[in-house]
Amino acid sequence: MRTLLLLAGLLLLSALPAAAADVTFDRPSAAVSVGDRITLTSQVVNPAAEPTDALVAHLDVVSLDPDVTVDPEDWSSDRTQYLDPLEPGASRTVSWPVQAVVAGSFDAYVVVAPAGTPGRGPVVVTTAPVHVQVAGRRELGAGGALPVVLAMPVLLGLGAAAMRYRLRGIR
Amino acid sequence: MSTRVVAAQEGRDLWIAGRALLLVFAFSVLLSAITYFTAIDQTLNFLEQKEAVDFTLQIAVGVGVLVTLVVSADGISGERERGTLEALLLTPVARRSIMLGKLVAALSVWLAAFLVTIPYIWVLGNGVSLVTKALVLGLAVGTLVATGLALFGLLVSARCASNKASLAISFFVLLALFAPTQLPGGLPRGWFFDVLQRVNPVASGLQYTHLILVTGHSWTRDLSYLISPVVLILVAGALALGASTRLVRLFPGVNSV
Repeated sequence: MRTLLLLAGLLLLSALPAAAADVTFDRPSAAVSVGDRITLTSQVVNPAAEPTDALVAHLDVVSLDPDVTVDPEDWSSDRTQYLDPLEPGASRTVSWPVQAVVAGSFDAYVVVAPAGTPGRGPVVVTTAPVHVQVAGRRELGAGGALPVVLAMPVLLGLGAAAMRYRLRGIR
Repeated sequence: MSTRVVAAQEGRDLWIAGRALLLVFAFSVLLSAITYFTAIDQTLNFLEQKEAVDFTLQIAVGVGVLVTLVVSADGISGERERGTLEALLLTPVARRSIMLGKLVAALSVWLAAFLVTIPYIWVLGNGVSLVTKALVLGLAVGTLVATGLALFGLLVSARCASNKASLAISFFVLLALFAPTQLPGGLPRGWFFDVLQRVNPVASGLQYTHLILVTGHSWTRDLSYLISPVVLILVAGALALGASTRLVRLFPGVNSV
């Protein structure tokens, strides 16, 4: 009976999800302007006594303003990173280069899940989000473009006309 | 020395008595229209603004190169048709110097087109910190492509008895090279399209600028796209300069082309 219980306990343990990792960002917030590139750094730690599975970390960005839509692909083309198993107490630094493509208020967060072991989850951990405040830059406007749009052809046209007039005078 | 004399004379013919100023004026009207219609769209976000800079630069390089090709395609056949080649051949100037001088004069039109492009790129790219990168890229890639096509235009011009034929052939070749760059991005593109794009000096040059400006690649990552413009310069340059004695000549009677 004791042997059976021991076997059942071992089976139960092996069926449990692998140890989860902790994940944190290096900063609580960031303030940038549209077009700026920043690198968010997250630290994945295995606080458990057993090694983790191989892990997959994924970055996501959400808009806090319902009027501003976010396509995270625009912010970073490399939002998923695969990590080797972490030994107990080991940690891994994961960098996320992102580019702010639209002005507004956003939260960026990372989700870490076991990779390649379907059925052994769900053990998903999420960072506390980094709040990213993106300031707009000078807006492109017809008013700003008008001096160049008008001046260039006018100047060149006057130059060409003056040259023709001068040539006609010479002939 | 004689190259400089030919280039100076050709430059005077082009800029003072010729149509270079009118061509550059028309070029600026085109860029003004593109810039204005881009600037009035207040809904552009950062990425779309980057694409607008890229689009304007591609048009500037494409049309700047076209103007350069048209000028170079007139180089020898135009002289032949106007009856001035005979006088030029009587001067103590090497045929190679004639070719080089005409090449330099044609490239002056590209450089003028590039100078005209600067304020437009500044207006469109200032808000997204792309001005310097776009201009350096446009100058580098545009000069490579313009040099290659100007040499090609001189070769065609030297082979054609008729100036119309020279201009038509050069224009058709440029259109054929430029058309693939304007295909919608959503079309399926396999390895064959990639090969076609890479052997096409215009398409590959413009793809290189697109990858740096819009996709954000580093300058060195896609340098292989610049192989075909460089190969065109080497091949067309070797033919134009190496065979200049046979190319820069009067045709007896009417040529078949």
